[in-house]
Amino acid sequence: MKRRTFLGGAMAVAVVGHGSSALAQQPPIKIGMSMPQTGGLAGGGKASLLGIEIWRDDINAKGGLLGRKVELVVYDDKSSASETPAIYAKLVDVDKVDLLFAPYATVPTAPIMPFVKQRGLLLMGNFSFQVNSKVGHDMWFNNAPWGPADSWAASFLDLAQKAGGKNMALLTADQEFAQNLALTARDVAKKRNIPVVFDQVYPPNTVEFASIIRALKAAKPDIVYVASYPPDSAGILRAVNEIGIGDDVKIFGGGMVGLQFAAVMSNLGSLLNGVVNYNTWLPEKSMYFDGTKEFFDKYTKRAIEAKVDPLGYYLAPFGYAMGEMVAAAVNSTKSLDQKGIAKYLRENEHKTIVGPIAFAADGERKETATLQAQFRGVKDKDIEQFRSSGKQVILFPDKLKTGDLISPFEAARK
Amino acid sequence: MNKRSHSIAFWAGVAVFLVAVLSMTQIVRNEYPFFAGYVILQFIALAVAWTILGGYAGYVNFGTNAFFGVGVYTAVALFKATGAPLVVQIAAAAVVGMLLGFGVGLLTLRMRGIFFSIATIALAIIIETFVMNWRFVGGAAGIQLQRPPVMAPFDSYVKMLFFVQAILVVIAVGIARYIQNSRMGRGLQALRDDELAAECTGVPTLKLKLVACMISGALMSAVGAPAAMYLQYADPSSAFNLTYSVSALAMSLIGGTAHWIGPVLGAILLGSTQQFLAVTISSEVNVLVLGIMLVLFVVGAPKGIIGLLRPRYRLRAGGKQ
Repeated sequence: MKRRTFLGGAMAVAVVGHGSSALAQQPPIKIGMSMPQTGGLAGGGKASLLGIEIWRDDINAKGGLLGRKVELVVYDDKSSASETPAIYAKLVDVDKVDLLFAPYATVPTAPIMPFVKQRGLLLMGNFSFQVNSKVGHDMWFNNAPWGPADSWAASFLDLAQKAGGKNMALLTADQEFAQNLALTARDVAKKRNIPVVFDQVYPPNTVEFASIIRALKAAKPDIVYVASYPPDSAGILRAVNEIGIGDDVKIFGGGMVGLQFAAVMSNLGSLLNGVVNYNTWLPEKSMYFDGTKEFFDKYTKRAIEAKVDPLGYYLAPFGYAMGEMVAAAVNSTKSLDQKGIAKYLRENEHKTIVGPIAFAADGERKETATLQAQFRGVKDKDIEQFRSSGKQVILFPDKLKTGDLISPFEAARK
Repeated sequence: MNKRSHSIAFWAGVAVFLVAVLSMTQIVRNEYPFFAGYVILQFIALAVAWTILGGYAGYVNFGTNAFFGVGVYTAVALFKATGAPLVVQIAAAAVVGMLLGFGVGLLTLRMRGIFFSIATIALAIIIETFVMNWRFVGGAAGIQLQRPPVMAPFDSYVKMLFFVQAILVVIAVGIARYIQNSRMGRGLQALRDDELAAECTGVPTLKLKLVACMISGALMSAVGAPAAMYLQYADPSSAFNLTYSVSALAMSLIGGTAHWIGPVLGAILLGSTQQFLAVTISSEVNVLVLGIMLVLFVVGAPKGIIGLLRPRYRLRAGGKQ
């Protein structure tokens, strides 16, 4: 009896709370996902989730989707591949969510690809790398700007060859993402007849890079392609700063994870100068589209409370863009039919806060929009400097370019 | 009850359990319970396997993840090379796990206490590094696998894996129970209480420890084998995740290590709590909850759940009569 009274009261409050708005009349549209909130990928996962939450709040403020409120159902996958199958089974079979977003990164996403293919479900990808290449699911769309698998290495080597680079050194971490990059880098180098004069794979958690950098320097490469993880990225740059890398090196960097995050950048400070590295979004004038500035205004305020990356350039706007694309598809098809949404996503170009997005048949971007940018004039211990333009000058792709490469590397470091 | 009627009750219980699992796969249509249930069963089997060396013999093994990962990658390599069916993958993993247990046991079982534990941690790191550099099974980048079609009477692969894992649990429990009641179990108990005294009274300690390590290793690897098909993906950092070691150890300790029912209870309690928290609280808090649970059990029930429930086991576990 008591419980019934309580429930009745709660329902009354809910109804009164929403007044006569249309939102209260229909059940919400549920979007389900797992997100790494603990473990190694948690930093990125939380920032990505904040981007998606800002989208949810924006769309609900505009009246929701199809007149229904949007609700997120999010579980923590602990950054592990072994957690996600059960979580996605629960989202689909128990929570009965209407749409699925993938967790941040490749490892937690890989085990759910066969599942969504089997069930014929739409999955919006969140920064995984080539996770659909073997599965071949036609209802997968990745929000990341990667594009074709080899474009990453190709864009870096384009810049390097233009600067006069003729041979390459590869320095890569023995981990999933870095090894994927290394594979394509070797392929592209082979196609272009660029000899690889140094190819070193180091174990994860390496902290001392002095001996590796000495060996690399002795090989006298023109191009140094580094695919590393946050702690090693810092270790490598420190070793380069102490030992130097030689005057032959035209370009240095490429695939260093970590140099996109505020904490790592402010920690390294002036050591970053000259490094050419990949990125996804930067505060350069070519990167502002409809709603971009408004998004970052909101993000900057909420990041403090959510204790996530204060800059949030790398992942958060793409989480928002993922929501924008789904919203456009649902509004255009006027339904939640997943096949219809997938068809719309595949056939149209989508306006988002990170620029226009069009998909290839494999659900990755038709063209790469992965930036290669060079650090310039970075001072020590100052996070705020990264909010202004000119600290990371975009060299690639051409339509977003905001400057030219300074080469050789030693000259650019000054 | 005498020994014989104990046995009848045990095997009747096993039969009821397997029939229940099988009928569940035929009746329940929602797949989520099978995904979650598979993980819980996997931890029951791991915890029971761990107890054979860690509980009965008192040799704390931190290398559960090494054996588990070896099972995963034996299955992956075999599946990729020959497309071998699941049963063959599991059998091969058990054999490889047993050989690994033999090799490791021979090298490390002369060390005692903390030194043995450290050696088992090193084992996991060595094997993980090896797999990271083995391109055939995907190396550091991991490998995606396509499941073969499911066999009758199951209508989904996960339901079949759930049943297979239930059989592995039964095998693990059956072996653990047999060892516990056998001459070998008494020998292991003797060497846990005082290895020197046991050796002096004629217990072949090294041989017993070696056999326990082989059986425990074989079971852990066998449990790991279906994980490749469960995830349809394998990567070294997930397959060799330290969580497997910590969970197997925690489950056994929470349940109690003196009797095979201990790790079963511990794994059911901790495994279901983990699964439940993963989809309810689902944040840093769930790690905290598990941590607090462990501390409470260590302080409040040093002999585990069975120590709380049955004073009889507490006596046994203490080694005093």
